[in-house]
Amino acid sequence: MDTPSRSRRAATSDVLHALGSLAAVAAVTVAYTRWLHVGNTTTVALSFLLIVLVAAATSHLWVAALASIVAMISLNFFFLPPVGTLTIVDPQNWVALLSFIAVSLVASNLSSTARARRDEALSRRDEVARLFDLSRDILLLTDSDEAFAPLANLVARRFALDYVGICLPQAGGWRVAEAGSLMLTLDRDQLAPAMAVADGHQTVDAGGHAVELVPLRFGTRAVGLLAVAGRAVEAGTLDALGGIAAIAVERAQFLEERKAAELSRRSEELKSALLASIAHDLRTPLTAIRVAATNLQASWPNDEERREQSALVVAEVERLNRLFQNILEMARIDAGSIGTDLRWVYPSEIVEAAREQVGRALDRHTFAADVESDRLVRVDPRLTASALAHVIENAAHYTPPGRPVEVDAVVAADRLTLSVRDRGPGVPAQDLPHIFERFYRGSAATVRVSGTGMGLSIARGLLAAEHGSISAENCPDGGARFTIVVPAETRAAAAVEQDT
Amino acid sequence: MTRAARILLVDDEVSIQRAVGPLLQSRGYEVEIAGTGRDALRIATERRPELIVLDLGLPDIEGTEVCRLIRSESTVPIIVLSARGAEADKVSALDLGADDYVTKPFNPEELLARIRVALRRVFSAEDGEVGRVQCGDLEIDYDRHRVMRADEEIRLTPKEFDLLSLLARNPDRVLTHRAILKAVWGPNAVDQPEHLWVLVGQLRKKLELDPSNPRYLISEPWVGYRLATTPPGTR
Repeated sequence: MDTPSRSRRAATSDVLHALGSLAAVAAVTVAYTRWLHVGNTTTVALSFLLIVLVAAATSHLWVAALASIVAMISLNFFFLPPVGTLTIVDPQNWVALLSFIAVSLVASNLSSTARARRDEALSRRDEVARLFDLSRDILLLTDSDEAFAPLANLVARRFALDYVGICLPQAGGWRVAEAGSLMLTLDRDQLAPAMAVADGHQTVDAGGHAVELVPLRFGTRAVGLLAVAGRAVEAGTLDALGGIAAIAVERAQFLEERKAAELSRRSEELKSALLASIAHDLRTPLTAIRVAATNLQASWPNDEERREQSALVVAEVERLNRLFQNILEMARIDAGSIGTDLRWVYPSEIVEAAREQVGRALDRHTFAADVESDRLVRVDPRLTASALAHVIENAAHYTPPGRPVEVDAVVAADRLTLSVRDRGPGVPAQDLPHIFERFYRGSAATVRVSGTGMGLSIARGLLAAEHGSISAENCPDGGARFTIVVPAETRAAAAVEQDT
Repeated sequence: MTRAARILLVDDEVSIQRAVGPLLQSRGYEVEIAGTGRDALRIATERRPELIVLDLGLPDIEGTEVCRLIRSESTVPIIVLSARGAEADKVSALDLGADDYVTKPFNPEELLARIRVALRRVFSAEDGEVGRVQCGDLEIDYDRHRVMRADEEIRLTPKEFDLLSLLARNPDRVLTHRAILKAVWGPNAVDQPEHLWVLVGQLRKKLELDPSNPRYLISEPWVGYRLATTPPGTR
């Protein structure tokens, strides 16, 4: 409810009161002259005085004064001799008139004071309710970083203000969150002195609007300024509002710090997961190489045993190299420093390159590739092959020895689709959303797989560099299928022949 | 010892099996290999190895659990292979009955030395308890509660003697802080390692020629202590 409608309603009620008191005077006059034939002027005067008193008690001064005058005229005309004229013969009549006026003044004064008190109490209650609602809203704000804008909005809404600005000093300026229907530009130079004001508020002018600046105090420390314009708000309420806003600001900053701490904790966790994973994967080949190298130095092995030990060293060095490549690729993905180099290639080249990169991990599986060969695609062959290699390696890890890993490549008008089908246990449903996350390994894996937990996440990172995507699904007849989609230009082989 | 000692190597990594297996065979040991905890338990029961080399990171059963299960059936020495930094795993494996540990990536000679020490203990235990023990220059006489170094008696307090004799009964074997505290001070003292630090300091002052660079009382950081029978450099 806003002020104009309330004052309009008060005016209507005053008019009604005036009409009512006039009607009462008329009614008493008619009743006394026509039916009751009361001739005693004292009785009449007392009756009129009662009406004036009621009017003064329930309404404003002008209503009471109007009632007094009408009552006096009526008394004079109808009751005081000479009846029927407005002449005042007897000076006593002046006394009666003055008594009416005096009574109406005193009574209306008393009643208007009482009413003012009541209005004040009501508005206090109203503002306390707003403050309460505001503080509850603030406590419910959970968002930290963007909390200042909602805070300004809440203040504007709860207090029906046209403009609310929350100004926080920042290195080299002010951070201002604004809300409300009124567009104002605060003069930044006026803000700093206002914050230094020890007590009370300042009113400044901004684009023709009076803006109240209230320091936001947290304890004795000012943390910022609250600027409000629009409805007049009591000074005490403004102070309370400033206090609540200050708490909200502190809370938001605290939440922000906590969020930052949380983020850094998560990144620490990721780092230690990385370290644990890498440490485990480094240690095994290093141990094997160290022992095998010592065996090679010793005199006991025969030729056959020497060959075996050196093959072991070579295989483990290859494994270390793969791990090292993975770490490098991951670092490049993290640094966002993967460039793409688009070239026209046959999909079969990509599949072959990937098969080559996987190396010995596929030794114990059968590998079947079904590649559409008559179309060329324009992709980054190195990135695509590397991503495919990681997916094939993953499939090999999870497929029991001797069973097939199948790859097929399909070229559509605007994309290259590569899919890798394994014959492993499939991906448990709860793991599907996570398998492309770094270091995620199946939750219910009964067979420990000596992967780094990096392969699929690297594949996703590499593909993202060329706007490609990767997804996983379980096949109805067992095993999982990973699908890589790379958006690419494609054309028939003959077209390129003409080009070159 | 009439035949070669049989060693069970438990590691799921084929490359470790292929490197360590021949190494052990070359030293005349008979080698059994298990890739999983289940196989390890089965072979341990069926083949009765004289010693088990156990990797803690197994695919099916926790290495420490394998350790506990084997220990519940037999007293066969267990040497644990574990990662550097995984001190908690080492300590719990040792507390569950493992005899020693080697940190990956290990020096093959160190593994062989630990195996020799553990096997010697098996065969000397079969010889029965001895009344006195020689450890480097030190001679510990359990019956008379005396420690001699080059015919000179070193006076020890009863607690110091308890600690030294506990370590000397397990020569070259790491004993966890917890195990030592429990044996010397009783079960209520296991969470008060400061007792042990102080006592080790006192004992080193009396035993060691250079207490800040100990030769006998070797600390295994975060894990425990061992009494070295040979100087550290020669192992």
